[in-house]
Amino acid sequence: MNAVSAKLVVEGLSHHYPDEYTGESVHALEDINLELYEGELVSVVGPSGCGKSTLLNILAGLLPYKVGTASVDGNIIDGPGPDRGVVFQEHAILPWRTVAKNIGHGLEIRGILKSERDRRVQEFIDLVGLTGFEDKYPHELSGGMKQRCQVARTLCSDPVVMLMDEPFAAVDAQTRITLQEELNRIAQATQKTILFITHSVDEAAFLADRCLVFSARPGQLKEIVEINIPREKRIWADMNNDPDFITARDRILKSVREEVSVAKEE
Amino acid sequence: MSALSAVSISIQRRFGRQRLRKILLGSIPFLVMIGVWHANTVFEWLPPVFIPSIGDVWEAIFFLQEDCAGFVPLIMLDNSCLMSTHILSSVGRVILAAIIGLPFGIAFGILAGMNRTVSKFLEPVGVFANSISGIAWIPLAIVWFGVGWVTTLFIMLNTIFWLMFFNSMLGVRSVARVYEQSVLTMGGSRWDVIRQVYLPGAMPSIITGMRMSMGFGWRALIAAEMIGGDSGLGFMIFTSAAEFKIEEVFLGVIVIAVIFMATDRYLLAPLEKWTVERWGLVWKPT
Repeated sequence: MNAVSAKLVVEGLSHHYPDEYTGESVHALEDINLELYEGELVSVVGPSGCGKSTLLNILAGLLPYKVGTASVDGNIIDGPGPDRGVVFQEHAILPWRTVAKNIGHGLEIRGILKSERDRRVQEFIDLVGLTGFEDKYPHELSGGMKQRCQVARTLCSDPVVMLMDEPFAAVDAQTRITLQEELNRIAQATQKTILFITHSVDEAAFLADRCLVFSARPGQLKEIVEINIPREKRIWADMNNDPDFITARDRILKSVREEVSVAKEE
Repeated sequence: MSALSAVSISIQRRFGRQRLRKILLGSIPFLVMIGVWHANTVFEWLPPVFIPSIGDVWEAIFFLQEDCAGFVPLIMLDNSCLMSTHILSSVGRVILAAIIGLPFGIAFGILAGMNRTVSKFLEPVGVFANSISGIAWIPLAIVWFGVGWVTTLFIMLNTIFWLMFFNSMLGVRSVARVYEQSVLTMGGSRWDVIRQVYLPGAMPSIITGMRMSMGFGWRALIAAEMIGGDSGLGFMIFTSAAEFKIEEVFLGVIVIAVIFMATDRYLLAPLEKWTVERWGLVWKPT
């Protein structure tokens, strides 16, 4: 293992939290170990309730943890920070800021000069295809555009690791396909290190260099599936006939389905 | 095409169909009231000691302002300029109470909205204070502060602060957690979250709170001026009634309503339009 280029390292991470209603302790994660290397897109799939969102919240610094360690670029995570950018499932761009001001928000917080900020903001507006919508407010955008804006906002802050929490779950099927292809293009263009949480097996297989399958609760790393398809070849029209893609997808699907049936029996 | 329809079309072009409809519909009840009022004067259903004529009320303005010797005594609230003095003292108190009460109410409300300890500390006393209507404080305030400015200001502040406090608190609690989380994950501080998330996110509630607290505060002020004041529109209504100057009572009541309607329309409504409506946080009436 190459420790120098591992951007995100998680070692022996376990987590319990009290249930919101019953107060009983829920065992969400058990002994998670993972490493994310520079420029890699790793997806995490698993049955609902397997703790994948809990993992993301811990890595984002929004949820304190006690057992194990998690670090980015060698710095132990103990709260939210600009080295980890998060793309949330819900529409998380601020309704009272225009598209441009939302995308430049992270730079504004860091006190980057306006001229420099404007230049970078325009770059990412163009990258995600929101050119011409700079001065619109979020309520004037479609669901897909709001998520593009959120992706641009996170990229514009230039985090070490980008954490994505089912970002395309709330948009319609046609838009989702477009957004997946765009994220693939963006990942290739920016070489960002990305951890992508999803419940969609197709999405996980389409986007990831490596796909981590989580077991039913308590979430454990069950299987790692490597997907060695060059980014420029990843287009949905071709993928459905690509033997490598089909093999990887079927393996992930089989692995997840075993866990879903385990979760049901309990 | 007739001249009338040409005029109608040009008016519609100028203001827009929807706006014109709104203005017309809204003014119908007023036109009916003015019509009945004028009919009463013509047919003398009720004698002028009960309901004065529109002309008498109009003239009362000039009568009250008759001895006014220019701009300086007017703004010095001289007793020779009675009409303007009463208006300006009421409006002055409202502005003063708003300057003190609104920011403090908003600040404590936001604090209580984001911090459970603060809300547990302040909520019960807020419910206690809110359950006592503004005017119930008047006798006590007179004992404490005497008749005058301090009593009326105290009554207003009591009303404004608590309404503003509760509305701001609820406003902050209604802001989606994900906005706060997204600012924190971009490296934002608590202070960034307050300014960039809680304050704008609570804006719909804050503006409702402003409208409510200014409305209730203005009413409380009029009541306070009647009993515990020595000037202002409430004082004017009360003393004029005691002297059977019914046209001055009518004038006072109308001026009170007109001032509040103007505040709401030209200050609070535009604020709403420029913030929450622009951000798509409220449903625009069609």
